[in-house]
Amino acid sequence: MKVIGKVVATEKNPTTIDDFYFWTDKKRQLKPFDVIVVKHIEKSETYGVIEEISHITDAPSYLAGFISSDFGDVEHQPLTERIGMNYVKCRVVGNTKNIYTPVLDSSDVLLADEDQIKEALGLAEVKNPLPAGYIEMYEGENKKTIPVHFNSHFLIGPEGAHLNISGISGLASKTSYAMFLMKAIQDKYLKEESEESVAFVMLNVKGRDLLAVDELNSDKKEVENEIFPVYDLLGLEKKPFENVKYFYPYSKEIAPTTYAQVSDVKSQISRGNAFQYKYVFEDDRDSIDLLFSNVDDPNETMESIVNYISTGQGKFGNITSWEELKKALYEQTQTGNKDNSGKEITVLSWRKFYRLFNKSYEKNKSLFANRCCDQHEVRLKDQIQNIEKNDVFVIDIAKLDEETQGFVFGDVMRSIYDLKLGTTERTEKEIPSKIVIFIDELNKYASNEIPKNSPILKQLLDITERGRSLGIILFGAEQFISDIHKRVKGNCSTLAYGRTNVIEISKSDFQFVPHVYKSMLTRLKQGEYILQNPIFRSLINIKFPKPIYKQYKNG
Amino acid sequence: MYFWGMKIINQQLMEKVLQFIANETKGECYRSFKFCHDTLAMPSIAYEDKPNEKINLKEYGETENSPLIRDLSKKIKQFEGTAPLFRYFLDGTRRTYKIDDIEYQKKVFPIIAGQIGVGCCERVNSSTFRKVELEHNLVLSLPSYAYADGHKPELFFNSLTDKINQISSLKRYNLNFSKILPYDSSKLPIGETYENKGIAKIQDEMIDCEKRIVAKLTSRNLLNQDNYLIKDGSLQYKPMKTGDFREISKIRNNYRCVIGISKQFNPELLKDKNDKSNASVIAHLPLFHRTPAFMYAPGEQFGDVKFAVWYVRIRDSKFTDTPFSGILKIEKMLMTGNESENGLETDEVDLISLNVIRERNPVCYGSDNRWANHLYPVYLTEKFIKSQYISDLHFLNLF
Repeated sequence: MKVIGKVVATEKNPTTIDDFYFWTDKKRQLKPFDVIVVKHIEKSETYGVIEEISHITDAPSYLAGFISSDFGDVEHQPLTERIGMNYVKCRVVGNTKNIYTPVLDSSDVLLADEDQIKEALGLAEVKNPLPAGYIEMYEGENKKTIPVHFNSHFLIGPEGAHLNISGISGLASKTSYAMFLMKAIQDKYLKEESEESVAFVMLNVKGRDLLAVDELNSDKKEVENEIFPVYDLLGLEKKPFENVKYFYPYSKEIAPTTYAQVSDVKSQISRGNAFQYKYVFEDDRDSIDLLFSNVDDPNETMESIVNYISTGQGKFGNITSWEELKKALYEQTQTGNKDNSGKEITVLSWRKFYRLFNKSYEKNKSLFANRCCDQHEVRLKDQIQNIEKNDVFVIDIAKLDEETQGFVFGDVMRSIYDLKLGTTERTEKEIPSKIVIFIDELNKYASNEIPKNSPILKQLLDITERGRSLGIILFGAEQFISDIHKRVKGNCSTLAYGRTNVIEISKSDFQFVPHVYKSMLTRLKQGEYILQNPIFRSLINIKFPKPIYKQYKNG
Repeated sequence: MYFWGMKIINQQLMEKVLQFIANETKGECYRSFKFCHDTLAMPSIAYEDKPNEKINLKEYGETENSPLIRDLSKKIKQFEGTAPLFRYFLDGTRRTYKIDDIEYQKKVFPIIAGQIGVGCCERVNSSTFRKVELEHNLVLSLPSYAYADGHKPELFFNSLTDKINQISSLKRYNLNFSKILPYDSSKLPIGETYENKGIAKIQDEMIDCEKRIVAKLTSRNLLNQDNYLIKDGSLQYKPMKTGDFREISKIRNNYRCVIGISKQFNPELLKDKNDKSNASVIAHLPLFHRTPAFMYAPGEQFGDVKFAVWYVRIRDSKFTDTPFSGILKIEKMLMTGNESENGLETDEVDLISLNVIRERNPVCYGSDNRWANHLYPVYLTEKFIKSQYISDLHFLNLF
């Protein structure tokens, strides 16, 4: 490949084991994340990743520039341009012979070919390859597009698990990237006949984002020109998701509890791949705690009440419906209550509990039902207990209020946990070995400000800390990773940073990110991520295609 | 341990070259303090430069014989966007070092060493500047007394050069001395030093090298009416006793498309009709004006070559340190009989002056104190040549 410059080691900026500088022509186009090769001792080659590019001239001060324009004449064009060059800071990512000696002054610096780039970034000979997107190196005639693969064992276990995607909404396209990865995973397991299997549970939290993931993107131009070429490059099936089942919150008229078009839901139901979910008191009484996950409960009174109800103490022993529960709770709030049951908990606490419960209950009365009657009316827990390999469950919670969203999410996690811990009659072989849960707006459930005793947070911590071995994988997304509980993000083996803002990059989460990458984070385009994964030797600036499935323009 | 080892090697080196010279010339080295002569360039007025010579206003060096200064500022606009006249830039630099003192029969003489760098760069276009020719020579200057016999000293010093170059320590760094230049070690007149004599020898060698490179450029047919060469410094070469190009009359044809530009000059040389100093004309020269060109004939010993000499202001005096900062002295050799008789065409003088003015930017402000008188391509050439020098520390430790 072409020699583009030479290494310079100076007194102030020596070459080290970690980094080095080289000079190059001032018009050469390079960019952060580009890989370059340096000829080194013992006929070895050292690989570097560009971190910073600076342009200097021999002008010792700005004044020299001003004077050189005839003392401030902006029209003036000198016959000779001031001598200048670019110098580039690179971080060492490896050496072909594992030589640690810093690269030497005046060593040739070359552009890398495809194999060298892969070798440098740790993308060569990846075991259990799983498409992660593609990288673009260099500019102009030297431009290269290289597919990038994860080792699936480091994304969805058993070596490393969980993915966290952060970035500001709209510009970062977090959902699109998570969906792209899940599509790639489904593709891999549909094609391969291995002992491992996978299923997906996605929560639709925004509009109609995920309510047509089994339909092809309706923008034909985009599909033909932008999406399919990338799918070809990565060797992916040019199809949307398969085996998709949609779960909408139950309401008779459908519309009050979902943003989906009633007709769409009806047609999905008639095709047998959409259901409406309900919560039946008798089966779901244990999940009431999830309704109060964001309520500060320092004295654990709420917890005692939940416990009181779910164990059927006092009046709560004979209750069979949500309405009865409400009534019983109401009675507890009355001071003139002759019955002594529940007196160990103060009336004030009962009132608080009643108020909070009533708020969620009244808003979602149809969801909290007495029983499921039609075939398309289901309990989520039952469905999850029977999830099949390669199934994609899309659970719509977008139109529910925040508490109920948390309730459903918590219930889903609990159900998956129960399934994987063997509280079902299914044999282990039938159960998908990995279940990927995707939740956007993770900050609602796992932010630093969530009360410590929140049952949802506990569930999330359980999944991120123990889910890897159980085969429960969390794909979470949020705007600001700095908001997320450190034990949740700390356990994610893969972190994808999308476009973010300057306040966010000043937080400690970005301390290790080099200065230039930080400012790049504030300028990333839609469809671009900076990726961190144990198998990559460096952060990687990755691109991925727009969603292959149908998206509704108006949400 | 490693650095300690290096030091020992350096000591051995030091002893070798100097001791070798002492042995070969049967003298005794003093191991005096070694140093580099100060090379920091400062803006100054060279008042002492040839005080007995003058340029008389009566002798015009151009066809239009007007005593008035000429305003070129309007013409600058007309030339905007046209190709520049100057394509090649030549500079010669030298750095001298006092290496040691050596004793011959109770007389003590200094040993001077020098690095000579002469180079020519080409401006291909506004953003491409590259080397055309470069010579980097290491030289030594010894007293002529070092050769005991006195017969055919050049043979002795040439063979001494060869022998020194065989020293393993020099070979190890792939270095060799190109010449030993003997300086006259006869009795000194008052105010003169042997050291200056040695330095002058090295200076002469540098000038010879400059002439050699101009000759090379000419033989490669690089210089023509559209591609002129700017040589840093004066073209008025002193007559020299030695050197391949000592006779200026023989090489004058090489200088058809060459102008010499001096940053420093003696303004007192310009005299009026009454033979009084006319330096204030230069000092008060307005921006983008030039003086008339004057004819200058240094005399027979210079090979009867005549020069047209004039001054141009390229920077406004309100921005400069001294009244003479921002003024350049331009020289051009007169080639034909007609030129020697009547001087250069006034249009040609204007054209050269305009092109010099167009070279005024960028400036080396902040990097060189002489920025107001420097032309950037010449400055770059100088920097390039100096970048080829061996570091002073390394050079001094060779001895």
